[in-house]
Amino acid sequence: MAELHIIGQIVGASGFPESSLFCKWGVHTGGAWRLLSGLKEGQTQVDIPQIGDMAYWSHPIDLHYATKGLQGWPKLHLQVWHQDSFGRSQMYGYGYCHVPSSPGHHRISCVTWRPLGSWQEQLAQMFIGGGPQLRSPDIIYSGADRYRLNTEAMGSVELELGIIMRHFDKYGVDG
Amino acid sequence: MATSNPSVFLLSVNGQIQGANFPEFDHLYCKFCFVYGHDWVPTAGLEEGITQITCKGKQSPHTLIWNFPLETTFKSTNPSGWPQLVLSVYGPDVFGNDVVRGYGATHIPITPGQHTRSVPMFVPEPTWRLQKFTSWLLGRRPEYTDPKVVAHGEGREVTRVRSQGFVTVSFHIMTKDMKKLGYDVGPSGAENTPGWAAE
Repeated sequence: MAELHIIGQIVGASGFPESSLFCKWGVHTGGAWRLLSGLKEGQTQVDIPQIGDMAYWSHPIDLHYATKGLQGWPKLHLQVWHQDSFGRSQMYGYGYCHVPSSPGHHRISCVTWRPLGSWQEQLAQMFIGGGPQLRSPDIIYSGADRYRLNTEAMGSVELELGIIMRHFDKYGVDG
Repeated sequence: MATSNPSVFLLSVNGQIQGANFPEFDHLYCKFCFVYGHDWVPTAGLEEGITQITCKGKQSPHTLIWNFPLETTFKSTNPSGWPQLVLSVYGPDVFGNDVVRGYGATHIPITPGQHTRSVPMFVPEPTWRLQKFTSWLLGRRPEYTDPKVVAHGEGREVTRVRSQGFVTVSFHIMTKDMKKLGYDVGPSGAENTPGWAAE
């Protein structure tokens, strides 16, 4: 079985309207993959940055997968939320990115988007916050049911991922 | 030293804690330690230490310099639990008490070669305003009982933090026998992670 190590961190996020942010993250894989060690989902702390507008989480990721096939390569999906001083949370963005498939160190900027409601919902959102959310988070990393969705662009999440691959060449994978 | 079928690989970390960028604070020192998984054992060098106390210079008013050496070697059978460098920066407050100015953690780079990391530093934030005021008055900021918690991802959902500075660390990494055990860590070489520009 080939093995994949994902060692890195979710560094932080920038480009959002407010900067008191936290992130719920998870890794989704196909059926041939087995998680040997590590946590494949989690939630970062809430960061209120003093300098600049980038929120820093430095949330560590250390995953060890074993696989029998290349299908279903791991995908990291994210939900960025804003928490205000009263502790209320508001959805700020969904995003996903594939885990890199080449060994080494990678710095990735994952873009995010937010569902857009009708103009009445947008007006209400301007005053009291809130807004539409996805019923099922599967749409974040799958393209199957998106064709009726209206969304707006939000900020981006910085990731630093180190990839170690083992025995992929024995199975004939090039590179 | 030469073995035809190694069962462990070695990770050699040489580097330094160069300095820090904290716009609002001065007279800081840094404590560091390594956090690693069950399969890892440090074989040489220090696992933890404290730097000197440094102040901002007159030439570059935003830069604090420690230039503190890091020399450690680890051995392991498994890349899971790859070591992380955990940093905690302390400094005096208005009344002279030593308070924490930032916690941060970064993974030791996985590829051989030279690397520079700019580690964001954050402090736990009291949740309500009266607690903020009394902590400022008494000089007792919230602190982690064990700084190593910043290297773990569990249990962070309920914490609120404030990021207020960066520490610059440079690494020179060497590994031994990772290729023989079948691990591919990609091309080695220098890369820089752009962070807060030191002025």
